[in-house]
Amino acid sequence: MKSPFPSRTKKADQAGNGAAPDENGAVVEEPKPSRKEKLSGHKDLAVHHGGEAGKDVAGWVDSRTNATGIFTAMMSRHVPKGTNWFYTLGSATMFIFAMQAITGVILSMYYTPSATQAYASITHLTNDVFLGEFVRGLHKWGASLMIILIFLHMARTFFFGAYKYPRELNWVIGVVLLILTMVMGLTGYLLPFDQRSFWATIVANNITASGPVVGPYLADFLRAGPDFSATTLSRFYALHMLVVPGLIGGLIGAHLFLVVKLGTTAPPWVRAARPKGAQRSEAVVAGVAVADSDEVSVSSNGVVANGSVEAVAEEADQAKSKTEAPEAAAGPEVTEAESAPEEPEAPEEPEAPADDEETTS
Amino acid sequence: MNNREKEEYLREYEQLKKKGKPFFPYAIMKDSVMFLVVAAVLITMSLVLGAEMGPKADPTTTTYTPRPEWYFFFLFELLRVLKPPALVPIATVGIPTICMVLLLALPFYDRGAERIPWKRPIATITGILIIIAMAKLTLLGASAGSPSEIELATKPQYEQGKAIVAESGCLACHAIGENGAHGGLGPDLTEIGSKIPRSAIKQSVEIGPGIMPSFRGLGEEDLNAVADYLASLN
Ligand code: HEC
Ligand code: HEM
Repeated sequence: MKSPFPSRTKKADQAGNGAAPDENGAVVEEPKPSRKEKLSGHKDLAVHHGGEAGKDVAGWVDSRTNATGIFTAMMSRHVPKGTNWFYTLGSATMFIFAMQAITGVILSMYYTPSATQAYASITHLTNDVFLGEFVRGLHKWGASLMIILIFLHMARTFFFGAYKYPRELNWVIGVVLLILTMVMGLTGYLLPFDQRSFWATIVANNITASGPVVGPYLADFLRAGPDFSATTLSRFYALHMLVVPGLIGGLIGAHLFLVVKLGTTAPPWVRAARPKGAQRSEAVVAGVAVADSDEVSVSSNGVVANGSVEAVAEEADQAKSKTEAPEAAAGPEVTEAESAPEEPEAPEEPEAPADDEETTS
Repeated sequence: MNNREKEEYLREYEQLKKKGKPFFPYAIMKDSVMFLVVAAVLITMSLVLGAEMGPKADPTTTTYTPRPEWYFFFLFELLRVLKPPALVPIATVGIPTICMVLLLALPFYDRGAERIPWKRPIATITGILIIIAMAKLTLLGASAGSPSEIELATKPQYEQGKAIVAESGCLACHAIGENGAHGGLGPDLTEIGSKIPRSAIKQSVEIGPGIMPSFRGLGEEDLNAVADYLASLN
């Protein structure tokens, strides 16, 4: 993956370089002025091109909400070193939830939540409406995909230990999201009102009723009375298209807020600690180009062992840098090279010149 | 994690973050590629598999298969494993509730500082075992088909009851002879006639004890035929 935004990368790089060679952590990642520049830029536009109402409105909104500032901050916030493809599963879940919301709204335009008409309305949608079956298919299979993705996402956060301090609350919110997603599957299944869904829902309800203490009451509530009736369907419909999605949407908001606030974890095997800071600044002076860790890991070993490969690749690159720039090969570097690559393919990575976390921080 | 470990983690994380890259464009790129993959899979599934409809729901008909969506199979199968009536509440609500609470509280009892999967083997192995168990249960649930045939020979006067039982989905939960769900949700009915009297059988079918749905909708005549047939099994 070559960076599609070379200029930006360079800028970030420089900023890093300028503030870099210290260990006391006082580095500002993004130069502050840029936000102000943007804001004043809007004002200028508003003044000079009075006709462009759009810009005016944008500036007006912005000066009240700081929307651009928040957006820029979110976009330029750093994801930690080693972030790999497993980290896309959460946003993929969100994407599919958005798809479900969109296709769900379309379906609701044709659906009639009544025991007598539900089946006919869906048959009509499936058979007569343009692309009707396609949209139904998207919604139906989207549900399955969402379940798969949410479980994969949960597995990722579990195996990476991402639920530990300080992200405990985000795990708890996640579990509630998981339960609510399953509830979506359960309530949605009844809505087509065909034989399968009808009887499966009765069984599901009987299962609920067999629960201790609250079981019978919960089942009664879902059924809307002691018997399965037309009200049951509208109750499921309300749950499925209003209550539960509302809760899910709100909780996703909270989930993401915490993700942005706390940051996503780095893969647990990726380490930052390197006590040989001075030595590395020599490498910067020598102008040694070291491969972009991201590129190395993705292209050399595919998705899976990303982080660990990356670490190996970095050390390999340092070994390479030694041969290219002999003055950088001071004492401690040698020990590092000794512990270096078991995997031979790493140093052969050709794509060299790119920014490097190694040298800039 | 004690306070020192927490501080250490935060410090380490701060550094990792500094060494990381801006969300835009790096993380966004990966996310977008993932979106495209998901969208492509979804569209393909929708086009290829479509969205077929079964027959209209009819509380009075006899043919149905009470099968949930595939992602509930593992729960359904859990019920089959623990089917004695006394255990049903445990299987239906007890175990899932306990699992949910354990899942919810995970960060509060697993407080170790270690995060590398192979350095916390208990958590990792437990996780893998749970995944295997769920996959296995799901596959079992998927392979438990919807049989609608009973091969057990019967006297001609009971053929009508046998046909109704066969097409009423009883076999999704019960076994009769070689057919049906062996080790299913409901008890084996192969010798039900020798276990409980005809009146009790009829009552069961009519009321639907426990999680079994009620079949009152079959109507008096069919109910009698079913009861006659089942009572003849011994
Ligand atoms: C959803 C699964 C399911 C379906 C479908 C089902 N049953 Fe059952 N059935 C059960 C369960 C579970 C029990 C045990 C209930 C209990 O005692 O708590 C049971 C009990 C019975 C009993 C009483 C057995 C005994 O030993 O007390 C009879 C008879 C029976 N079912 C007949 C039928 C017939 C006939 C059909 C089809 C028309 C049918 N069942 C469909 C789940 C099912
Ligand atoms: C509707 C469902 C969900 C959505 C839309 C969602 C979305 C996200 C997103 C976008 C992230 C950012 C990092 C990433 O993508 O991996 C994230 C992180 C996280 N999610 Fe979820 N998630 C959902 C469900 C869950 C579930 C079920 C759990 C676990 C039970 C969970 C636990 C977490 C945790 C602990 C993090 C922090 C991970 C880290 O910092 O590395 N989420 N979520």
